[in-house]
Amino acid sequence: MTEAAPVISAKNVWKLFGPNPKSYLGSMEPNRSFEDIRKDGYIAGVKDVSIDVGRGEMLVIMGLSGSGKSTLVRCFCRLHEITGGTIEVEGQDIMSLGQKELIDLRRRKMGMVFQSFGLLPHRTVLENVAFPLEMRGQERHTRRERALEVIELVGLAGREDYFPRELSGGQQQRVGIARSLVIEPDIWFLDEPFSALDPLIRREMQDEFLRLQGILGKTVVFITHDFDEALRLADRIAIMKDGAVEQCATPGEIVMNPATEYVQKFTEDIDKARVVTVGALARASAHTAAADGNALDSEATIQGLARQLINDTRAFMPVQDKGGALLGTIKRQDALDLLLGAEG
Amino acid sequence: MVAQADPSNAALSRLSSLHFSVVLLVVSALLMIAHSMGVLPAWLVRLPEAVIPPTAEVLDVVFAFVQNDLGLIHVTRSIAAGLEYLLDATGNILYGKNRFPYLNRVSFLFIESLGPIPWSAVAAGMAVLGFWLGGWRMAILAGGTFVWTAMIGQWDIAMQTMSVLIVAAPIAFLIGLMLGIAAWQWRWVDNAIKPILSVLQTLPFFTYLLPAVIFFKVGPTAAAVATIIYAIPPMILMTTLGLQKVSPDIVEAGKMSGCTRWQMLTRVYIPAARTEILVGVNQVIMLCLAMVVLTAFIGMPGLGAKLLAMMNSFKLGRSFEIGVTIVLLAITLDRLSKAWVVKQPKHWERETPWWERHFLLLLGLGAFAAFYIISQFQTFEILNEVGRKQSWSKGREIDRWIKGVLEIDSIQAVTGWLRWFLNVKVLIPFRNALLWVPTPALIMMVVALAYWLGGRKPAIYAAVFFGIVALSGWWDRSVITLYTVISAVTISMLLGIPMGIMASGNKRLANWVLLTCDSAQTFPSFIYLIPAIMLFGVNDVAVVFSIVIFTMVPLTRYTIEGLRAVPLEMTEAADMSGANALQKLVSVRLPLALPTMAVGFNQAIMFAFFMVIIAAFIGTQDLGQELQRTLAGTDLGKNIVLGINVSLMALTFDMAILEWAKRRKKALGLG
Amino acid sequence: MKSLLKTMAAAAVVIAPGVAFAEDSNDPIIIPIHNWSSQIVMSNVVGQMYESMGLNVEFVTTDSQAVYESVRLGDVALELEVWEGAFGASFREALSKGGLHDVGDHDAVTREDWWYPMWTKESCPGLPSWEALNDCAAVFATAETGDKGRYLDGPVDWLKHGQERAAALNLNFTVINAGSAAALWAEIGAAEADKKPVLVFNWTPNFAEAVWPGEFVEFPAWEDGCDTDPTKGPNKDELYDCGNPANGYLKKAAWDGMKDKWPTAYCVLSNISFTNPQIAEMAKLVDTDDLEPVEAAEEWLAANGDAVQPWIDSCS
Repeated sequence: MTEAAPVISAKNVWKLFGPNPKSYLGSMEPNRSFEDIRKDGYIAGVKDVSIDVGRGEMLVIMGLSGSGKSTLVRCFCRLHEITGGTIEVEGQDIMSLGQKELIDLRRRKMGMVFQSFGLLPHRTVLENVAFPLEMRGQERHTRRERALEVIELVGLAGREDYFPRELSGGQQQRVGIARSLVIEPDIWFLDEPFSALDPLIRREMQDEFLRLQGILGKTVVFITHDFDEALRLADRIAIMKDGAVEQCATPGEIVMNPATEYVQKFTEDIDKARVVTVGALARASAHTAAADGNALDSEATIQGLARQLINDTRAFMPVQDKGGALLGTIKRQDALDLLLGAEG
Repeated sequence: MVAQADPSNAALSRLSSLHFSVVLLVVSALLMIAHSMGVLPAWLVRLPEAVIPPTAEVLDVVFAFVQNDLGLIHVTRSIAAGLEYLLDATGNILYGKNRFPYLNRVSFLFIESLGPIPWSAVAAGMAVLGFWLGGWRMAILAGGTFVWTAMIGQWDIAMQTMSVLIVAAPIAFLIGLMLGIAAWQWRWVDNAIKPILSVLQTLPFFTYLLPAVIFFKVGPTAAAVATIIYAIPPMILMTTLGLQKVSPDIVEAGKMSGCTRWQMLTRVYIPAARTEILVGVNQVIMLCLAMVVLTAFIGMPGLGAKLLAMMNSFKLGRSFEIGVTIVLLAITLDRLSKAWVVKQPKHWERETPWWERHFLLLLGLGAFAAFYIISQFQTFEILNEVGRKQSWSKGREIDRWIKGVLEIDSIQAVTGWLRWFLNVKVLIPFRNALLWVPTPALIMMVVALAYWLGGRKPAIYAAVFFGIVALSGWWDRSVITLYTVISAVTISMLLGIPMGIMASGNKRLANWVLLTCDSAQTFPSFIYLIPAIMLFGVNDVAVVFSIVIFTMVPLTRYTIEGLRAVPLEMTEAADMSGANALQKLVSVRLPLALPTMAVGFNQAIMFAFFMVIIAAFIGTQDLGQELQRTLAGTDLGKNIVLGINVSLMALTFDMAILEWAKRRKKALGLG
Repeated sequence: MKSLLKTMAAAAVVIAPGVAFAEDSNDPIIIPIHNWSSQIVMSNVVGQMYESMGLNVEFVTTDSQAVYESVRLGDVALELEVWEGAFGASFREALSKGGLHDVGDHDAVTREDWWYPMWTKESCPGLPSWEALNDCAAVFATAETGDKGRYLDGPVDWLKHGQERAAALNLNFTVINAGSAAALWAEIGAAEADKKPVLVFNWTPNFAEAVWPGEFVEFPAWEDGCDTDPTKGPNKDELYDCGNPANGYLKKAAWDGMKDKWPTAYCVLSNISFTNPQIAEMAKLVDTDDLEPVEAAEEWLAANGDAVQPWIDSCS
């Protein structure tokens, strides 16, 4: 994912909580750890993070509670003022924006979904969804039409006049999603949107989310503490701990090559075959030219091709991407090892 | 995140706190011994006159300067003029005062005169409102209250009262809301407001009345101002609390929706804090009603003034009926506003015709109009106005009944014995003892108590506050006030806590007791004074008795609530350990309920400080008597010094006890 | 029905015209009312007289001491019952500050002093002479006064000097101050049940004389200066050794501006003079007959129109 211009570009972002963070950061000696900083009376919510989000990419930020993932995303949309570093959204330094420009940016470009929904209890579904439009002063009639459109998109048609408390948790979050989409944002932040839901609904909402994203193709920053969810949704995953990004890579890469011990721990119990794609295993080697027969789709997971891998007896198999270009070959034995969990 | 202090450390600090208290007590004991031997110098017994600063005189000069030279009185008088305009309008609409909008002079179609609104129309409208908010029960309560008011022959005076309240309550609401928002928004406002609110909430109401009269002119305007000031504090607190409690998700959702600051406040924060703000509204209404009788001293017309007139001509029955009306109005408005707090909007299916959506509104308006019109016809005159002779008042019968009860020999024997025993054996010796204690010794005892309860901070405040009281020049009267408060609270503990313990075992009994508590509290305090005198005569027993009626309420209530809130597992654990009912009460339930009970105890003390001032109408020699005396004059400085004395003593206890309850709760892990 | 239709046809909103006396202001004349019946009814009677003259009237409840400050400032226009004993001091103080003035006396006398209900006489036959008090002290003793008698004086702010009098006349009595008039009545009411002897502060005219027949204690007669000059009265070394004047005045007072703003009303006010029986009758209508003050005033005016009309007529 190295596209021309990233939508969000964060460089050396710091967010410290404490009595006088700016001057502390200014005078802080380099390489102080999270613990050191804590002993000085500050909490490092975000610690020297640099990360880019490309257009149309789905970046999942994964971490346990207190790891700083929510803080980081709030820095992206400037719900938090950062202590150090720069954040550019579409090439514009958001810290330089005035209050009015910031509000304008949010009104035009950003949508956000919250863990406990953040719905206004005194407004109906329709009024909640239309809220951002109302804030930017859109005329009553057009905002109603647009809101109804989005409500239908998230599958709540017929419930427009209900109040939030009359809806189930899953339905409430659909309202939250509809509200975040109503202004047609370019960037879509989702802060643990499904964590408050029970597991069955969560699964259903993930499918729904993938369906929507399939239609809309937004630039997405998605936060979760659930590694499975991250693997399921992400183009890239950034794993955070103590305010810092431990590793940022595609799911397959993280599973295959965890950068730190901490990341390793997450991957241990994961059924890798479900995550790793054929493309991630493909190597351009001497066999590439020799390999023949039908090629494998680089984006398919090993598990998805299980049957074929077992039945197909070729030692090396060619891999091609969507366009049909040959990427390399995979060794059948490697794939089977991964599938059967017999890694060396 | 309960800070788990090292137990040995805690014990140590406990010991050292005790230690400091003991030292103070020993010193004060030494002072008393010296005093009893007659070797204590006079200036240690009481502060000499010479060192007492002329606070009241200085205040008078300051007020005179602010009032006249700075021209504050012109500002307040023009505010009063605006207020008067509103009061005239509501007075015209509700009871036919001859002012704008002159409904009383307007005839419309065949209606001879549009104003004042007939009682039946109001009752019908209120019944429909009650139904909308809380179904049939509320409809009957709301409609019934207004029917009662009319039928008992108190409609006019009740409307005179309402005409002030419906101006005062919204203004108190608005000012409270704005100050609450300001305190939430700016830290310095919060810091500035907090101490003022604490003082305001403990200041005796007489202290509000005199400045109100001077600056806002005797009559309904001054009454409205005093009522507004009295009702604002809880509104501020509830607003701030509500705004602080708005969930961060909602706040961030608002920001991400691109709200400006103003939009955040009006579209996000205030609607989301709706529940707390409405609880504030409820409090405003209740406090306004509580002032109905007290403001009668400065020209509030209506129920309060009538009540005082009735009491002054010894018509107990009629006073009692007015009391019932006030209680009914209070309960109705309380329940209606509480129903409004929990009332949630309901959605309508699409295509519901508008008249069905607004059915109850239409019904209410219809009923209102229908009764308005019907009552204009001679035949149905009674729906317009109930005259004295048509009313159901049973004043005389009640008078006879009360006299009959008092004539019963056994009652006389009991009250006679109580009067003798309490007066001669308990109250008077206790009072004389307290008055005998040298000033510094008494202050040290109070400080020791505050330190033992709440630690350093309350102790420092206790020392400063009581020091100010000593310097105010009203020490003896303050001590008598304190004596009355302590006596009343002690007696109500002896009665209220066992009652609470008994009631807590039985849910129905508990509910019944709580309801009685509610009614006893809303009943105008003045009405208790007369039976107290008739039972015990004009003396301290009557004073203490009339306070005890009030102070028992919170003690009973919080005992019930504290015991009920003890987690079930704990009592089950006690059961499984083989504890019998008494052991369970003493070793498990009471210790766990104690922090809650302490809150009740604190409220009891606050109520006692409130009532002790009212008890001046029985006849006391304390601060209340002096305060009552200032009411008739223009001694603003003295009035304020006296009021502040009461407030400081009350605050001392307030801080120490609440701090204790807080620490105790934390230690018990009860949040 | 016809007129009804006519009115409907007009479908009009009509404002009734008011006011007859051109020179008197249209602003309401504000009359203060206090918390005892005779004053409330009297104020209503005068108010209704004014209304019959086409003037606007309004009543406001005020404290009976603080009212003089209000009259002085013009917040209220007049005061109909200025009792010499009870309010003389406040009245004189306001008078000296300026802003209000004396508009003459009612044809009534007032008296306030130590008083007892009739049943008391049975246990202390020497009454009403004050000299009997010491012999009967034990009769008036209560639990907390020991062997001393107990006298319940009016509230301290009424400045009745009961304490001083007991001392000056060597009475073996403890003087206790009640907190309000209501407290005095409650004390008498409670004593009534088993005819217990009581000695309390009381005054006339008021409703109590109708409810509890009683008498004032006859102290040494009032001499001018008894409250300022020790040589007056039987005890040559002490003040307050006389009874209160047995015939105190009952005055009317008015705001200085009233004369110019409502000249006719002012003229009527200066004519007004109620007698003791008339005042007692007013109080009775409310206290005994349970009428509302407005109704009582109507009834009283209906019965006594003849007495009142000349006061109005002489001014128009």
